[in-house]
Amino acid sequence: MNLYLPIAEMPVNVLIFLGMGGAVGFLSGMFGVGGGFLMTPLLIFSGIPPAVAIGTEAAQIVASSVSGAVAQYQRRNVDIKMGIVLLTGGIMGSILGVQIVKELRQLGQFELFVSLAYVIFLGIIGSLMMIESLNTMRKARSGAAVSARRPGQHSWIHGLPLKMRFHRSKLYISAIPVIVLGAIVGFLGAIMGVGGGFIIVPAMIYLLRVPTNVVVGTSLFQILFVTAATTILHSVQNHTVDIVLAMILMIGGVIGAQFGAVAGEKLKGEQLRFLLAGLVLLVCLRVAWNLVVMPSELYSISSVIGGH
Amino acid sequence: MAARDEFRQKFRQRFEDANRSIRKIKPRDLRSAMTGRNAVFALGAAMVVLLIWIFNTGGEDADTAALRETGASSPAAIMEEMSKTAMPAQQADPAAPAKKTEQANVEQSALEASVEKAEQEKAERRRAAMADRTVQNPNFIESVEVDISTRSVAITSGFSGQRIVVFGAVHNSQQASPQQGLYDVVVVLEGAKSKLVSRRKSNVAGLWINTQSVEFESVPSYYTISSTRPIVEISTPRVFDEHGIGFHHIRIEPQAAGANKLNPAELKSFRESIIRLKASEGLYQRRPTGVEFIGRSLFRTAIDLPANVPIGPVVARTYLFRDAELIAENTAAVQLQRQGLEALMYSFAFDYPLFYGMFAVAIAVGAGLAASAVFSRGAH
Repeated sequence: MNLYLPIAEMPVNVLIFLGMGGAVGFLSGMFGVGGGFLMTPLLIFSGIPPAVAIGTEAAQIVASSVSGAVAQYQRRNVDIKMGIVLLTGGIMGSILGVQIVKELRQLGQFELFVSLAYVIFLGIIGSLMMIESLNTMRKARSGAAVSARRPGQHSWIHGLPLKMRFHRSKLYISAIPVIVLGAIVGFLGAIMGVGGGFIIVPAMIYLLRVPTNVVVGTSLFQILFVTAATTILHSVQNHTVDIVLAMILMIGGVIGAQFGAVAGEKLKGEQLRFLLAGLVLLVCLRVAWNLVVMPSELYSISSVIGGH
Repeated sequence: MAARDEFRQKFRQRFEDANRSIRKIKPRDLRSAMTGRNAVFALGAAMVVLLIWIFNTGGEDADTAALRETGASSPAAIMEEMSKTAMPAQQADPAAPAKKTEQANVEQSALEASVEKAEQEKAERRRAAMADRTVQNPNFIESVEVDISTRSVAITSGFSGQRIVVFGAVHNSQQASPQQGLYDVVVVLEGAKSKLVSRRKSNVAGLWINTQSVEFESVPSYYTISSTRPIVEISTPRVFDEHGIGFHHIRIEPQAAGANKLNPAELKSFRESIIRLKASEGLYQRRPTGVEFIGRSLFRTAIDLPANVPIGPVVARTYLFRDAELIAENTAAVQLQRQGLEALMYSFAFDYPLFYGMFAVAIAVGAGLAASAVFSRGAH
């Protein structure tokens, strides 16, 4: 069953892309991640132009994060004030990212930039997660007791000016690191086609020391609004959001996520993290492979953007 | 050492907390936000839109309309009929067996050059002879008429390529039968021209990075050449260069600014890269024996427009050769255009990008909420 995509300007097999959406949805439901880091490279490898893949994936992340965000909001797990500060930075980062996508496409270095971003971020996050989960598993086997959480120490971050009070997070910290974190995530979302949960969650926990229950809700809130803004920005700046492709992926994704969530409950936390780390590292290696192995075709052609 | 262990423990603890709270999110939490009935309704509406899209074959109307337009008066209807029904028979009966040398698929510049001189002399003599005859009988001059089986090709959501037939007739044909092979016909089907940039990767510190690039003016987005026999047998490179006939003769000129930096050999490899890549995408094609004569004067060629054909006008340039001499030419055009929802979406995205983006977000939010509401209903 083929469908002609209006923006990508190519026919695709709907069943294949539904299946792709379902498979990524399953994994994201299982691990509790957005799945953008899997879907965007998959789309690019299957022939969708990279810029269209990233623009379209932003729309799909909106769909996959909205239900979680609403649920968290009703559980009062969203620190709206911190979310808005994050969002302010996020939208600035997103605007910058979308603009950079445009510039890099003109220079012909867009794919390189995306690949490098993937290799670096997925490599770091995947390795850290892998080491941590292995250590946990080893300790669990040797029967070591799990120690209670220690109160967080003050770091350089708490010495910055422009302090704000975040009631729900029970924090009194400077707005600067919050905005910067939001901007970094927004920027990466715009250029990598990811929600950025894999960066914002650890950063909020370890750098800002936000309580974990608030972290999930607030990061979902930020991801939802930043990806929504990114979708609109990509539409306006680059005309690279393909609604038809996004709908196919969404349908596959939301169904897959439901089954993934059930499967995820059957596994232990460290097992899930180990599998997720393996997946992240595989994607990282796959992208890196394309960068270091001599391509069979050294040339590539593209139309001149904005050259009229 | 102790600090590191503490760090690890903390990391794990926090991560587990986060994980647990992620998994605590149950779709049923949304039930108060959206009743199941509304959700089913929204999802249903989304499905209906998608179904309309899938089954939207408005393009066929345009096609049949175009056919009706050409109607009974012209040979178009006959040709279209032929292309549909009589094709296997035609294929089984090779029109001009002598011409069909399949192996000469690739034009060889060297061969072309060696033949050129002899051909030129021959052509010279022929021109003189023809001038003679023309004086005697002005009706002798052949001309060529050409048309395409359809005026417009509709790109709809179901588009997966389309076969078009370019057909024509040699006016004042002097050949007794199609087998005689007095004439050669070359049909060049060409899409709109635009600027294109070719980039070459090289290894920089272990990574394969685009380092060199050349911008080319007016590269045809689509190019298919179909001829009665391999064009190297038909005429000389000079004629082909002049008219842009054949892969090696397409007029693809580098932009002046980029050209100065590179030597001719490099420039040539960039030029070839465009043709090679376009060919690998199926956008540049050649059928060395694609044109066949059906009668003394009637000829046809069926060309399959690929599914990824660039949208825009396509022109069929037709050249009539006799004894290596270009004696007549003509053109016909077909318009490739988006139709139905496909056209609507495209103009929406490009004319109202802000609303398009907001629409995309609205669909995403709707789909996300609807799906979780539906699934939470199913779970209870």
